[in-house]
Amino acid sequence: MAAPERIAIAAAGAVTPIGPDLETFWSGLVTGVSGISQIERFDVSDLKVQRGGEVKKLGRIKDWCGVPDCRATRLLVAAADDLCAQAALRPLPLDPARVGVVVGTALGGVEEGERALAGDRPSRRFPDALYDGPGHDLARWLGARGPVITVSTACASGSTALAVGADLLRRDEADLVVAGGYDALCRFVLRGFNALRSLTRDEVRPFDRRRTGLLLGEAGALALLVRERDLRGPRLGTLLGYGSASDGFHIAAPQSEGRGLERAVRAALADAGIAPGDVDFVSAHGTATLLNDRIETSALKRALGARAHDIPINSIKGGLGHTMGAAAALEAFMCLLAAQRGLIPPTLHLEEPDPECDLDYVPGRARPGRPRIMLSTSMGFGGCNGAIVLEGA
Amino acid sequence: MGAPHVRALGILSGRPAPAPGPAVWALPRPERTGDRFRRATRECLLALAAVDAMLEDGRATREAIAGDGTALLYVTAAAYGASNREFIERRGGVMHFAYTAPAVVPAEVAIEFGVTGAYGILIGGAPSTLRAIRQAGQLLDEGRCDRVLLLVVEIFEECADLYTRHRRFTKWPLVETAACLWLERGVGDLRFESRRDGSGAGPGRADERLAAGPLADLREWLDRGAAGALELSGHWRDEHARLQWSMARSHARGSVA
Repeated sequence: MAAPERIAIAAAGAVTPIGPDLETFWSGLVTGVSGISQIERFDVSDLKVQRGGEVKKLGRIKDWCGVPDCRATRLLVAAADDLCAQAALRPLPLDPARVGVVVGTALGGVEEGERALAGDRPSRRFPDALYDGPGHDLARWLGARGPVITVSTACASGSTALAVGADLLRRDEADLVVAGGYDALCRFVLRGFNALRSLTRDEVRPFDRRRTGLLLGEAGALALLVRERDLRGPRLGTLLGYGSASDGFHIAAPQSEGRGLERAVRAALADAGIAPGDVDFVSAHGTATLLNDRIETSALKRALGARAHDIPINSIKGGLGHTMGAAAALEAFMCLLAAQRGLIPPTLHLEEPDPECDLDYVPGRARPGRPRIMLSTSMGFGGCNGAIVLEGA
Repeated sequence: MGAPHVRALGILSGRPAPAPGPAVWALPRPERTGDRFRRATRECLLALAAVDAMLEDGRATREAIAGDGTALLYVTAAAYGASNREFIERRGGVMHFAYTAPAVVPAEVAIEFGVTGAYGILIGGAPSTLRAIRQAGQLLDEGRCDRVLLLVVEIFEECADLYTRHRRFTKWPLVETAACLWLERGVGDLRFESRRDGSGAGPGRADERLAAGPLADLREWLDRGAAGALELSGHWRDEHARLQWSMARSHARGSVA
């Protein structure tokens, strides 16, 4: 199989619980800022766990363009606004019909549906509750008239979206693609994860022996993708490969040995034409649930072989919470910034390593290092496993 | 890009409602024994039934689709609405939260039939299904799998009142559909075109099946015994898409390729 055409990530934008743009996101990661706080935007008084990675200041949408003012769309537009600050996208620099939008989400506009059913929103907002609504809103805000695609591979959605965006370019359906992920915190998802009892009342401690679960977060994360041969100007990095695999095991729990994740990693490395020994850094899914971290460790050991013990691996969910559809895109951006800045962010709140998670999970503080080839892994409900391989600029 | 070969297609369609008026042609909840399905949602059970129908159409056993050589693509515009609503209105007390995720519909198929290959999930209407057929062709062309199952489920009954209030959002009647298309590497040509121009739906199916429309059209085409070139089209929001698909071999119901 021929190596796929190289797709450059020209720029990225984000809004996160630790910062309203990519730069503050990065500085928060390397200095160990936590964005976890009491949730204030909606009533959580009846829920056992009331904290999460909430974006406290999220302005109303600038340059309205008829876009509905829902939280999910606001997160996307805020990330796009940050992206536009780094790459001149408004007005679009080429035929709008050649600009595509691909977004990944686990929840779409479900909060609009929740509010419409509760009578808090006019029922005419019902179409906004469909999961592909916010992606179309983003396209309208950008003025893009090319393909608009929404993917929903649960918490692996962000990596799927980057891969689907790259495919649009490879198939010449677009010349520029804005791709990434988003999800908003809302009562729907907080209630759901409370019911699953997977939320912690402690800190989120990926790979720590005391870990007791995850916390949710919200974010928007968007990249500008362009064929490398068409790129004029700087880039953040390159998307080299993608792989996915179903567990076929359980609707909510990962396969007990991480076989699906292992297959996804192997597929991504094969797609990129990269040997396991060439990987310099891994961004783990690292949710801090008992099962996830142990299973992910096991899968990485098998997929990367002996080299697994020598590669720095981190999880950034300790400070952000699990940002669901945005998580994999944010983690990809973190990888590329690590390569650019020569610094690997630490795994926040990892203080007492779990003996069963015995890889180098970068505890404590940021570590100097300039990885070139990076792997980012994702796992989601339904046994969705995704992996992407990136190259720093 | 090479055109994938249709190995089999299973499709379940809702029947006309007995009462006149704004209609949802509903599919009954399939029966399935086993404790694992105790809390499974109607859309999940319909997905499984669609795969059963596909296997029957292809006279194949479930072992033929098991393993990591099978990729699974799932498309829906709105099937998750039913479980989302149930979770919201019952305050989360009864339904397993994971079932609100669109990803759980193909997951039930993957679990039941042992499908562990590559996957993809697109949220959208008929153009997304056409795009998924193209994606299947690409996966097969690139040797990433031996076969692709394209699963599409659309159900409406649980949210019928909401659709009724938004009659202009869709055509009527809304026909619940669960379909699974088995594609393999083939010879021929596949061309996908899409444009977004903000215009209305234009000509097309008289009923509304959202993402399942193209597979209903394909089933009709196959049942006519047609061969050669096929054109499928679809509309959703402001996107119009068209797929021109020429197949070197035609599919006949029950054929073993």
